[in-house]
Amino acid sequence: MRRGTELALEGVSFRLEPGSLTALVGPNGAGKSTLLQTLAGQLIPTTGTITLAGQPLTPSLARRQLALMPQRGAIAWSFPITVRGLVALGRSAARRNGCCEVEAPLQRLGLAGLADRRLDQLSGGQQQRALLARTLVRPAPVLLLDEPCAAIDPPSRTELLQVMAQLRDAGLTLLVSSHDWGSDLDSYDRVLVLDRQLLADGSPAHVRHTLGHLRVAHHGCG
Amino acid sequence: MCATPSATCGWPTTAVVDPVLFWWGLPLGLALAIGALAPLAGTLLLVQRRLFLANLISHAVLPGLAVAVALRLDPALGGVLSGVAGALLAERLSRGGAPGEEADAAVLNTVLAGFLGLGVLLIPLLHIRVDLEAVLFGDLLAAAPVDLLRTLLALAAVLLLLALRYQQLVFLGVDPLGAASAGLPVQRLRLLLTLVTAVTVVSAMTAVGVVQVIALMGAPALLALGGATSLRQALFRAALIGMAITALGFSMALLPAVNLPPGPLIGVLCLALLPLRAWPLGRGR
Repeated sequence: MRRGTELALEGVSFRLEPGSLTALVGPNGAGKSTLLQTLAGQLIPTTGTITLAGQPLTPSLARRQLALMPQRGAIAWSFPITVRGLVALGRSAARRNGCCEVEAPLQRLGLAGLADRRLDQLSGGQQQRALLARTLVRPAPVLLLDEPCAAIDPPSRTELLQVMAQLRDAGLTLLVSSHDWGSDLDSYDRVLVLDRQLLADGSPAHVRHTLGHLRVAHHGCG
Repeated sequence: MCATPSATCGWPTTAVVDPVLFWWGLPLGLALAIGALAPLAGTLLLVQRRLFLANLISHAVLPGLAVAVALRLDPALGGVLSGVAGALLAERLSRGGAPGEEADAAVLNTVLAGFLGLGVLLIPLLHIRVDLEAVLFGDLLAAAPVDLLRTLLALAAVLLLLALRYQQLVFLGVDPLGAASAGLPVQRLRLLLTLVTAVTVVSAMTAVGVVQVIALMGAPALLALGGATSLRQALFRAALIGMAITALGFSMALLPAVNLPPGPLIGVLCLALLPLRAWPLGRGR
């Protein structure tokens, strides 16, 4: 996978099991966002294939079956819109009238009481939950979350990890990127370590063992 | 209530318009229409992080205007085409240049200065007469019915854009990448915004001038966005603030004690609005 003249990803191959919670970790510039955007159908791989339940992934199939939660930097938090308004934008992405309940994701993420607040009146953790709620509006079975735990406080991070585990338990497949290594990594079923290529793949304990030389920072989401 | 025109109801019995009413009613109507139009367009640009277009297009209208005058076409048409061309050229050159906002700003400034310079050069080259002062700063008291009609048409176009594309504009403003990946016609929406900006700038030519309109697009929008919980609410507030500013500017200009041109006066009133941002409307919600 190339971005411009630069090689962003090379030889990355893995399979996600349905109903699993997988962390995608690696340093800044490792290609995590590129991989998620490629899986979401926003970028076309230079070589190689992506399949979903045996079918080649096309942009329209990706739009139906995968939902991408972008990094918080991609969102204009000062836009004049309420939490409910932001979540309702998930319906625009679905492009189907009558589809997609807005109140249910708000309830699920504990945002019902904040639904009429402006986005810039929320804490960082609440903003991330609102963004996740927007991602959940569409009934997509695969969720791709790009650094959902970046720049939020530890209690909010723990809450988000619990929500992700609940979504996994409800049968959804989650791939969650992070550039942090920490004890939160144990919340995941599986960890993929990426630095333009796949360096390790396995359980959190296995990955720590395999890449023992890497320094583990005791903060972060995954 | 009068259902039909009659002398007792006060409707005019002839087609002759009261000259006093015409003298100040037309400019006031134009001032109010621009007061609504410019902040609407400005708010849309601001939330899309594209307010630079107002500055760029306001300078880029001059060459087209000069050519249109030379060809005996409607100057507004030439101005719109030239403004859109300037905006598209700046975007094209920005993409092709070095990455980074500063590089883009350098391209933008060069294009706007270049278009302005070209416009000034075309005036002697084409042997035409253009009152540059009126173009840049407006001459509200010289307004003609066609100016009001043009502005009302531009206002209708903006309202139509909002009616048809409101949700898409919100999505694009909140999350441009998400809007693109959801299949929204991002480039088309941005082109429509560019067109609306050009039409707004040209419509404001008579009322406040193509330079002063930048203030009228920015200041009411900034004030209106504070505390607004929806784009619709911000747009409504911005239009109200803009109409109040232009009405005040026009009224002050008529006062014998003031007796100043309304365009620059409206620009100064917009400047006076900025400190009010510390008290955003609807704060504490």
